[in-house]
Amino acid sequence: MIAGNGAAAWGARLARAEIIPNFPITPQTAIIEEIASWIASGEMDADFLPMESEHSVISALAAASSAGTRVFSATSSQGLMLMTEMMFVTSGLRLPVILVNVSRGLSAPITLWSDHNDVLVQRDSGWLQIFCSNNQEVLDSVVMGYKIAENSEVLLPMMINLDGFTLSVTREPVEIPSQNEIDDFLPAYNPTHTILDPKEPMSMGGAVFDEYMYFRSQQRMAMCNSKDVITDICAEWGKMTGRGWGHELVELYCLEDSERALLICGSESAILKYTVDKLRAKGEKVGMLRLRAMRPFPCEDIIDALSDVEEIGVIDQDVSPGSGGIIATEVKACLGRSVTSFIAGLGGRRIDAEKYEKIFGRLGRDVEEWIF
Amino acid sequence: MKNPYLKKLTDIPMEDYLVGGHVACQGCSASLGLRLALKVLGKDTVVINGSGCMTLLPVYPTTPLLVPWLHLAIENTGAAGTALYYALRRKNIKANILGYAGDGATYDIGLQSLSGAAEKNIDMIYICYNNQSFGNTGHQRASSTPRASYTSTTPVGKVEVAKDMPAIMAAHKIPYIATACPSYPIDFLNKVTKAAEVKGMAFIDLLVPCPVGWDFDPTEGINIGRLAVRTGMWKLYEIVDGRVNLTYIPKKRREVSEYLRAQGRFSHLSDEDIGAIQAEVDREWDELEARGYEYELGI
Repeated sequence: MIAGNGAAAWGARLARAEIIPNFPITPQTAIIEEIASWIASGEMDADFLPMESEHSVISALAAASSAGTRVFSATSSQGLMLMTEMMFVTSGLRLPVILVNVSRGLSAPITLWSDHNDVLVQRDSGWLQIFCSNNQEVLDSVVMGYKIAENSEVLLPMMINLDGFTLSVTREPVEIPSQNEIDDFLPAYNPTHTILDPKEPMSMGGAVFDEYMYFRSQQRMAMCNSKDVITDICAEWGKMTGRGWGHELVELYCLEDSERALLICGSESAILKYTVDKLRAKGEKVGMLRLRAMRPFPCEDIIDALSDVEEIGVIDQDVSPGSGGIIATEVKACLGRSVTSFIAGLGGRRIDAEKYEKIFGRLGRDVEEWIF
Repeated sequence: MKNPYLKKLTDIPMEDYLVGGHVACQGCSASLGLRLALKVLGKDTVVINGSGCMTLLPVYPTTPLLVPWLHLAIENTGAAGTALYYALRRKNIKANILGYAGDGATYDIGLQSLSGAAEKNIDMIYICYNNQSFGNTGHQRASSTPRASYTSTTPVGKVEVAKDMPAIMAAHKIPYIATACPSYPIDFLNKVTKAAEVKGMAFIDLLVPCPVGWDFDPTEGINIGRLAVRTGMWKLYEIVDGRVNLTYIPKKRREVSEYLRAQGRFSHLSDEDIGAIQAEVDREWDELEARGYEYELGI
């Protein structure tokens, strides 16, 4: 039984992350505390670098990754915001950094509880973004994350999100693979595109003139490539552990004959699944699609899964004031049809089965509705 | 073992690791400072650069640098150097880590990150190439800008005095701190050698006269640097274990007007203003003379 934060730390430990720059922030702190204790006890061989800010954390991640070491850190909310500038630098330099974000609503007003606005502010930063629904998925995603991000067809950083409190402090049964198993699965990181060795001098982070757009298109291509890489690596992981995580980029639940479906991401999907079961027992044809990957955005998977569904709603635990639910906007663009956009669960506001039942009853309208 | 310290100009190594063909301005002392520093640090050096003028040395697809170079952003040279120290150790790469960042990236936006690296006493050499302004964006005010200097954001002259960065670094108890100027290459390079020798962080504040921002003819950079030192307006010293030691004492100090009148950034000053600056410099040096040129900083 381990909490989500412990699962994230285990992922980093099993992946043999070598450099761990860190800065405390609620609700992430337990991740770095766990790693600090393992390094102190000799159970994990890594350098623990307490930095002076999250900006310095991401800078250290980028520098250490540039030198070819495997790196890991975790942050939340305000910390992730402070990293913003360097998020783009990290993806632009094509550094396969793994950063866990424990989602937490953004200030002001201050909240400690989870929503997804922090993650979605970084949506366009060129990072792969994975949302986890339980603690096992957190551990699995971190380990798989290195293999995906370090793939020569990808070479992009990855952010793995777990929801603050609902996952971060909640204990669940988690199967921890053996170190030997992981060592076979994940080879050491030895990059050829970034080297900081006087034997092979390389200038990194220089200026360009009009090649800028070329480099951006390379990033886009890597993001496109990542879809197949994620699918393949999830399949490999599934073969090894018996856990493949659904359709890899999305998880489908009871969608085969659904007339109504809700799209969601993160741990709140658990109660939604429970609600789906409850309504199905009453004969209602409802289903759920959980978005695992926000980037790359799994448009084809969403079309395949939802094109026959009559009424679709999107639960956004985020909002772009003046536009609406961020994910709903993307889903509309992807499907080319209207969906009902529900803004719910901001700042950890509870979404229980009763609310989901109400939401299922309010589909079929092209509106933005706030569920308090 | 060969004495690593230089005595005369011809002792300076011929090897270059910053070579020609780059786009730094004519008469740029910042690129000269880097070129000189790399001569003594040698090929086993990795440079971390904070955004500024020097960031434009490598322009895709070319680079004038024959040593590894990493630029991330303006405010994180200290953090990047910290991570690089550990990363290179893990990779079994033995190299000097040279942070090379401007004064804006050091005194101002990068101070937090630099302080973090200094507090951890990371084994790196941090050279602040100090043109006393945000130079790359066109000479705007920085906390390193001297009082009375024109900048494009202090059109009537800066009111406040410059931050005492070496003293701030001394408060971090790092083993080696120095000021320097490329106009005094032997003094500068022997300080770089000492910086590389010490275990832990070394900080060098390198005054680099900027022909564009300071407004003087590009052929005059070396002279302007000499005048800064000979007038006593830029002191050359080291701080080791909290003790300050002046490494150059002008025998007869030149009038500050010689230095100030040679630069457009001070052209708005009246004779009276210059007299006030002279009086201030005289007072500082009188105090120095009274207590000796080697003294406890008392931090």
